Amino acid sequence: MNLSFLYENIHVLLPEAILFLGALAVVGADLLRPKDGDGRGLGALALLTVVAGLVGTAYIWGRPPATYLGGASLDGFALGVRVVVLTAAFFAVLLSMGYAPRITWQTGEYYALLLLATAGMSLLGATTELALLFVALETFSLALYVLTGIYRRNPRSAEASLKYFLLGGFASGFFVYGAALLYGAGGTTDLALLGQRLAAGEANTSLLWAGMALLLVGFGFKLSLVPFHMWTPDVYQGAPTPITAFMSVGTKTAALAGFIRVLGTALPAQQATWGWALAVLAVLTMTVGNLAALRQMSLKRMLAYSSIAHAGYILVALVPGTAQGTAAALFYLFAYGLMNIGAFAVVVALERTAENDVDQGGFRGMATLYPALAAAMAVFMFSLAGIPPLAGFFGKFLVFKAAVEGGWTWLAVLGVLNSAISAYYYLRITVAIYFDQAQAVPARNAWAGLNLGIALAALGTVLVGIYPSLWIALFQGLGG
Amino acid sequence: MPTLPVPTFTQVVFVLIAAFTVISGLGVVVARNLFHSALLLAATFFGVAGLYVMLEAEFLAVTQILIYVGAVATLITFAIMLTRGAMHGETNPLNRQWGKAALFAFLFLVGLLGYLGGIPWPAPFQAIQADEGLIARLGEQLVTRYMVSLEVMGLLLMVALVGAILLARDDKP
Amino acid sequence: MLSQYLFILLFTAMALVVPVMAIMMGHLLGPRHPDPVKNAVYESGMETIGDTWVQFRAQYYLIALIFVVFDVEAVFLFPIALAYKDVNALGAGAAIFFILLLLVGLLYDWRKGALEWQ
Repeated sequence: MNLSFLYENIHVLLPEAILFLGALAVVGADLLRPKDGDGRGLGALALLTVVAGLVGTAYIWGRPPATYLGGASLDGFALGVRVVVLTAAFFAVLLSMGYAPRITWQTGEYYALLLLATAGMSLLGATTELALLFVALETFSLALYVLTGIYRRNPRSAEASLKYFLLGGFASGFFVYGAALLYGAGGTTDLALLGQRLAAGEANTSLLWAGMALLLVGFGFKLSLVPFHMWTPDVYQGAPTPITAFMSVGTKTAALAGFIRVLGTALPAQQATWGWALAVLAVLTMTVGNLAALRQMSLKRMLAYSSIAHAGYILVALVPGTAQGTAAALFYLFAYGLMNIGAFAVVVALERTAENDVDQGGFRGMATLYPALAAAMAVFMFSLAGIPPLAGFFGKFLVFKAAVEGGWTWLAVLGVLNSAISAYYYLRITVAIYFDQAQAVPARNAWAGLNLGIALAALGTVLVGIYPSLWIALFQGLGG
Repeated sequence: MPTLPVPTFTQVVFVLIAAFTVISGLGVVVARNLFHSALLLAATFFGVAGLYVMLEAEFLAVTQILIYVGAVATLITFAIMLTRGAMHGETNPLNRQWGKAALFAFLFLVGLLGYLGGIPWPAPFQAIQADEGLIARLGEQLVTRYMVSLEVMGLLLMVALVGAILLARDDKP
Repeated sequence: MLSQYLFILLFTAMALVVPVMAIMMGHLLGPRHPDPVKNAVYESGMETIGDTWVQFRAQYYLIALIFVVFDVEAVFLFPIALAYKDVNALGAGAAIFFILLLLVGLLYDWRKGALEWQ
């Protein structure tokens, strides 16, 4: 039998293959390392793998669209998702380098799971088939459940892991049930084929909508959209902070990628129906996230609620169902990745490891002690609030522009109002950092990777803000 | 005078299996002893396997017994036996929310029945031939069209192997 | 089609009826003269010390976890084995890669000492 189809277009999965081999290498190196070794090299190996993944993405950049075995596709969207996910992973490894050895002695597994989660996320952006979508979703979810609970001496970490696992398993149930109904509706797991059968009137639309409703619950959980967001603050607070940073960007990007694939590939013609459902969810998510963030005392919980609100903004871009909206969502995720991971990196720098969190007193008057860190935090907060000329501003600008041009002006207006609310709590932190009396600010954690991570994130936030055209051009063609 | 329809043998068997499944499922939820819940869960898994047989999905039925009854139920039983206090008396957690939960579950059931009762179900594309190698065809699909899914599945199981041991074993220095 | 399962149904019914009958008959027909020695937990044996419901060791759970994963693996391999004459080298290759992935997990567990009985 002719096996040439096996290696035809195999480059479609090059970045995932690199990440997978890197994870294997980390596990192997960990198994072979001497018992008294500190595992410092493992972090470097993980970092190298992520960089190689980015290089692999660049290598297949601009190639004509292709499909591997009918399940994984190479197109602009898949590449864009990979850029965001791998950037998040890059920062997560940098933040973990000094952090992982403090919270666990099993640093090899820590990095291996981080890389495998990244592989699952980046695969989710490339998949155009429901079975692979589900398996990729589960791969990164499972790795994240474990990583959330890896700080075993901290009871909050164990609680977060259990909560995340139970609710995540429940959401996966919804997801797989929805996928099964979608299969029943069209007789195929291939999203493009499902779309064709729908357009030809061959699919069972009643089953399709029941399936879509269930899929929405599954994705809503992963994206922490509002009625399904209850787990987010507890899990974000309990998880080791570098993992929280990674999760807040990576999970959202991957789940959103899967969601966009389902909606954009299979159901583009039904936008009039799902557009409204997404609009309602977006308004709820933005508003509830921002209002709840106003009242948080813990910095990690505040950032958790703020990430819920940001998921709402991104959802606004999807409502019109246009390629422009998809590109805007990708750009937003990239900008959000830089500034949000940056903010979590500052939490890593300030927290006492045993507490795994920073409260209000932990950063008051920090500017007098650590001026550079304070400046970086101010950049991240301004950017998250959407103040020009930083990355977050252009993200919001593109998202709301896509909504207005798609005919959803009222949604954009509500988004802008929400940004105004959010500015209050972001700026309050900046004010506290600069103008409050210094209290017992903890000693600053510092290792090369952390400092480099904060510097790169701040630099990126500013650069994307100053030269947005460069990045917009990068993400512009990726919506299709 | 309309005559009552005489149920066929298949229908009788289906009703018996379905009733067995539903009653054991209900038992899982209402049993006051956690260990009884676990045993009833295994019974429910058996019932579901029976339903798969009725659907002529033998592979699924065997899988159901092999994995759910053979492995998952065993695992749950082990988990309960790990905690000393969980086996005696009223150990099944039942909080003040159960009324609301029951109400919502009931409303969900009514809504689901109402929705699914009103929709046209797709007719089977073609009848299954008795000697058709269905499972072999599944295997063929697994290694061709769904090969990426299969290998990622292997990756997922690897993550499970590593992660489970990471979290479950004793913490060493 | 379904009739081939009739035997399983009959078998299940037998498997339920025979033991229940046996216990019932003993209950109905047997003479009853209870005394303290007869009522002991182990007749002509030692009194048990402590609770009979002992707490299981966490080690069992680890083994069970590993078992579940390999159970799932076996289920995936079964249809591929049946399809072997149609897919031969390709199927074997895919299956071997699949097994190798799990082998990495097993090697990891072994090397980390999860398989050792402490």
